[in-house]
Amino acid sequence: MTRSQPTDPPIDLLAAVQGEVSWFCCGTAWGPCSSTGKGACGTCNSGSLQHAWPNTSDACWSITRPDSCGVSLSRRTCGFQHRITSLCGGGSVVTSIADCGPQTDLFCGERSCCGSTCASNRLIDLTPAAYSRIASLSTGLRPCEISTP
Amino acid sequence: MTSRRQLLKSALLGGGAGVVAATALGSLGPEAAFGAAAPDVAPGAPDPDFAEGRIRSVKENTLLVLGSNMVFHRIRIVDGTSLWKLGPTTFDQAKPGDGLYARGVRMPDGVLAAEAVWLNIVNIKGHVRNITAERIHLDHKGQQVLCHRVPGKSVAIYSDAPPSGDLSLLRVGQHVQVMGAWRPDTNEVDIATVFSAH
Repeated sequence: MTRSQPTDPPIDLLAAVQGEVSWFCCGTAWGPCSSTGKGACGTCNSGSLQHAWPNTSDACWSITRPDSCGVSLSRRTCGFQHRITSLCGGGSVVTSIADCGPQTDLFCGERSCCGSTCASNRLIDLTPAAYSRIASLSTGLRPCEISTP
Repeated sequence: MTSRRQLLKSALLGGGAGVVAATALGSLGPEAAFGAAAPDVAPGAPDPDFAEGRIRSVKENTLLVLGSNMVFHRIRIVDGTSLWKLGPTTFDQAKPGDGLYARGVRMPDGVLAAEAVWLNIVNIKGHVRNITAERIHLDHKGQQVLCHRVPGKSVAIYSDAPPSGDLSLLRVGQHVQVMGAWRPDTNEVDIATVFSAH
């Protein structure tokens, strides 16, 4: 797989960034999620409007490595807010960072589309409460735009 | 324009639980419905229009659900509620013991009038440890999850390619996302969609 050099400066310092959004469970939960804790920030709950971000700390960055997919994302820590807008329906939700993730490097180059509107690379994961504000949970993965509120 | 949320709320406040016309609610596409304006909730805060937990009992058109955080929810199903259990399903498929996520409109009496209910839905990422024609052994955060292929329902999405019923391109060692329906009280999942980067 071809991997490009990360952008410099980080693209999200300049403007909104487009990428893929998925959802994950955290906090007290049922099923395979029952072993999931409250995330890197210690506050994550599936029912709250929260998200995971790939660069919350050095340790987080060393796991997620979006730079290996050619994406540089700036450091943003617990509680920082993003607006996530679906590129499919246009709905948006403002959430705050509660965990480290997604593991961008393991899905490098992946692309999601709605018709001819596409976005590449997993840049953000929402809690079920947040994701279901902009898309059905059964879609699993969507292209989105990430900006600051 | 009357929103889906307004229709749900007015129907229930009028005492007409279960009388919301599906045709009225069905005028919005799924993405538009989920993109519809919802009340402002502070980022990071619990969303009052969302619920999660496991069904304790079913009483008429109401699911009695105990949240994992021990909060009790009453979730009202109306004619326009969409239900999912490995795919679109009907109310009679909601069983005690099922896990769920639900989104709707919280009524003054605390009932959640449901726009959508997802039964047993999971969306997990992991490494493929083994794969056969019938199942994928997934390592999810150090735990093995047995993912079953369901003929006619399970599909794979290889990056931006259209969904395919052919799961044979998946490989051991690969990282994938499995969206599917949990089999309650097991470590097993029926596959709806496997997302693969390539």
